Amino acid sequence: MEERDASVVARARDGDRDAFHALVDRHSRYIYSLAHRMTGNAQDAEDVVQEAWLKAHKQLSRFEARADFRTWMHRITVNCSIDLIRARRHREDAHDPMDLEQGPLSERGADQQATPERVAASVQISDRVNEALGLLTALERAAFTLRHVEGMSIEEVGEKLGLKTSATKHSIFRAVKKMRAALEPLVETQGRT
Amino acid sequence: MNTHLTEDELILHYYGETERTDVARVESHLASCAECRFANQQLRQVMTLVDSAAPVEAPPGFERIAWARLEPALDGNRSRWKTFFWFPQWALAGGVAALVLAAFVAGRVSTVDPVPAHTPGMTATVDSKSVLQAEVGDHLDRTQMMLMELANTDTDHSDVLAGEQIRAVDLVAANRLIRQSAEQNGDVVIADVLEDLERVLMEIANAPANASSNDLTDLQSRITDEDLLFRLRVIASEMRQRTLNGRATSDRVPAKKMPVS
Repeated sequence: MEERDASVVARARDGDRDAFHALVDRHSRYIYSLAHRMTGNAQDAEDVVQEAWLKAHKQLSRFEARADFRTWMHRITVNCSIDLIRARRHREDAHDPMDLEQGPLSERGADQQATPERVAASVQISDRVNEALGLLTALERAAFTLRHVEGMSIEEVGEKLGLKTSATKHSIFRAVKKMRAALEPLVETQGRT
Repeated sequence: MNTHLTEDELILHYYGETERTDVARVESHLASCAECRFANQQLRQVMTLVDSAAPVEAPPGFERIAWARLEPALDGNRSRWKTFFWFPQWALAGGVAALVLAAFVAGRVSTVDPVPAHTPGMTATVDSKSVLQAEVGDHLDRTQMMLMELANTDTDHSDVLAGEQIRAVDLVAANRLIRQSAEQNGDVVIADVLEDLERVLMEIANAPANASSNDLTDLQSRITDEDLLFRLRVIASEMRQRTLNGRATSDRVPAKKMPVS
């Protein structure tokens, strides 16, 4: 029977390397999925996973024993993802402000515009949604994920991403419109069947 | 006048973020306008679809990969008091980096192929750009490791700063060469990060022998406030990507003399 997180965390906190390894084994897949949803690509997701575990390792002594470890890791991962996105934004801004709008995520989706034929051929809703998310810029994706998935208010999203409320709104609007354009044909197809 | 709701208004309404003063108008319009109700319904269906999607799964065996990548970094934290034993390797690697970079810079100025970039273990077919990018990547990894250690050190152990000074001096020298090279090539983004990095490395290199907990706290704050570790990771990742792209390109086109571009 699998040992409960609480006791594994307690051992890890006492410096037991195997216990920390067990936590990494147990939660890394979940953290990766979360980081991928936030960042939109595998390389960044791997970097976020690494950073999140390093932070967890450093802050393990502050973890409340009664709290849920996965929830705690979830929060750390979201924050690490935001740090990465903000750091990248800083970099992209210095390079060319348009890069964020035409970054790698949008490049990936450039030839994946939804057409009725493509939608009709697709039976994998998850794939279609993930493809649609791939059409978003890094900033749109982060803003959308924080608002839609993490349930933060627009104001909170703006604070997290270092954006003014109006800019945050526009990022979310653009994201939703792109998602809608990409997925509405699928909704219509489903509606007809 | 009863104009239709905009898509933005529908989105705000969906998220319950309509301005309080606007809620009654939006709801009353939705109640009376079939067209907007339909648009609202469509939006909700799309969002339900988004909610129903399964997240992207990690590749098979990801846990092992994550641990293999993580464990050395944890070792770095734990063995910070053993810096003495592994410092010479870093110094040697830093020296090699400096030599390669110096050779590279000389090569640029003289426009002659930078032959000195050849190092043991590398074949003569490896062009200077690949060597440089690999060395820059190594430099960034080493710097990242040191900053990570310092950022994770208990502030009670401010003497760790003194232990890192020689390594910092070495890193400053390599960093300066790379930064100058990046500037010469107009790679302003990388040059910017390296400039910030250099200031922090200089602080470490010049820290007083009896540095206080506050000195260490200040340094840790700078590392955090300037997002140095993440920015470093981002350019290290970009360097890795450039190296990979360079390898792929070198299969198709002759090697160029452009260094960091």
